[in-house]
Amino acid sequence: MAAETALLEVGAMFAAIGAVGFLAGRLDLSPIPFYILVGIALNESVLGAVGLPAVSNGEFVQVGAELGIVFLLFFLGLEFNLDRLLADRTRIGTAGVIDLVVNFGVGLGVGWLLFGSLLPALLIAGVVYISSSAIITKSLLDLGWIANPESSPLLGVLVFEDLVVAVYLAVVTALVAGGGDVGAAARAIGIAFAFILFLLAIVAAGTALFERLLDTPSSEYFILRAVGVTVLLAGAALAVGVSEAVAAFFVGMAFSATEYVHDLETALSSIRDVFAAVFFFWIGLVTDPFVVVGAADVILLLVVLTAPAKLLSGFYGGRAYALNDRRSLRVGLAMVTRGEFSLIIAAVALSGAGSTLPVETAETIYAAAVGYVLVMSALGTTLMGASGRFERFLPS
Amino acid sequence: MRVYESEVPGVGRKFELELTGGTSVVVVVHHDGRCELFRRDGPDADGEKILDLKGEQANRLGSILEGAYFESVDVDSLSVPLGEAIIEWVEVGTGSPVAGETLESSEIRTETGTSIIAIQRGEETVSNPDADTELEPGDLLVAVGTREEQAELAALVEGSA
Repeated sequence: MAAETALLEVGAMFAAIGAVGFLAGRLDLSPIPFYILVGIALNESVLGAVGLPAVSNGEFVQVGAELGIVFLLFFLGLEFNLDRLLADRTRIGTAGVIDLVVNFGVGLGVGWLLFGSLLPALLIAGVVYISSSAIITKSLLDLGWIANPESSPLLGVLVFEDLVVAVYLAVVTALVAGGGDVGAAARAIGIAFAFILFLLAIVAAGTALFERLLDTPSSEYFILRAVGVTVLLAGAALAVGVSEAVAAFFVGMAFSATEYVHDLETALSSIRDVFAAVFFFWIGLVTDPFVVVGAADVILLLVVLTAPAKLLSGFYGGRAYALNDRRSLRVGLAMVTRGEFSLIIAAVALSGAGSTLPVETAETIYAAAVGYVLVMSALGTTLMGASGRFERFLPS
Repeated sequence: MRVYESEVPGVGRKFELELTGGTSVVVVVHHDGRCELFRRDGPDADGEKILDLKGEQANRLGSILEGAYFESVDVDSLSVPLGEAIIEWVEVGTGSPVAGETLESSEIRTETGTSIIAIQRGEETVSNPDADTELEPGDLLVAVGTREEQAELAALVEGSA
């Protein structure tokens, strides 16, 4: 690819992202599905198929997408509140475990039925387990539920899920990257956990170091140092076969112990927004819509089984908080939404194509995950908006 | 009065303030300073959004509620240095003992130490009233004096001195 067209392609990408973001804002919907769809629209299989210049899956877009994952997880770590989890451990624990057992269990079962082996089943389980923090929090604000009691179990379970996904990603990335046999997988998981322990040590002991690092009156040096440390550690993790997302999560946690949390959130949120959008765009860019259509049966099966599962687990999660039926139902409706983390798992699945996963299996999981997220993000927000209609069916 | 504070990941902080009668106010402060105010009329009621403020508007409202905000007085127009003194307004009621008296005979200055710098009478303002100015019911007296002197003036005008 010539350098002059590379810049043009990146420009076209950002212009397209900006345009659909505007559209999503007008329609009052989450922009995430729009970024994916515009990525699909501009890729080789769609725009390229009709002979028009498509946006190619170039190095910048790929690295940009990885930066998107890194900053999404960095923020998750930055805002991850272990104290909140511990202070409210009984209720969050109960609701979180119900959520984990029901949805991960359903995913594992369906995955095993479809592919007949453990790794694909684990990937499907991850995809259907993780609700979307980004979309749910936005909907909570839009609907004003943030002021209501149902926001407590919702936010609590999301925190629980965040912690699970950090551990899950470490294991699954190691399994996907670790080669076929059990010994290699065990070694890869061993390295992953060793790296996590190393990062935890940094989190525990490094607060003073991070404080000194960020102690500068210049907003320029501040942001450069924060980005430098985060991306370097995430990159180092990836180089030794550990998930960059997990590394970024722990770096975020380390920074959250400093007094600069608020400044970091303010300074880095625009970087996160830009690269997260690139990540969602990239997801669309490497998605062949015909493969997604081909996986329609898998997607349908997943939607039909997992939407009621989340509704049910969410309802009992609300009950664990002693909420009434109406509010518990709302917790269930809100949890239906899936999004960014399912896509990160989809990207992990794709990275194992041809090595630990058969190419066809990897592509099916990827396409199913993309289609599933598109359906579930729309379904989840629609269900939340229409909660009034569901509440009428409750016995009074 | 209890305030519950919690983190909203990715958004900011949430504060819940319990008022009387089961009503509560929920404030969501976003990372960018935006501030949303909700009112809930009872434990079973849904939150109703009252206000959506930008950071600066929220700060202004906050300082008003705190009692820290006031429009700055045009001090330059006052010829006397105020020092410890403050300016207060006292209304002369119909039954007030000073009604019908002149400023001199009311002994406001000698009794209380305050100076009447202006009298607001309906639409009209009598600035720098002289000793012969007669006080009428409904007059609004603008007085300069210390806090104690102002209290004495209020007592005198009300007739409870």
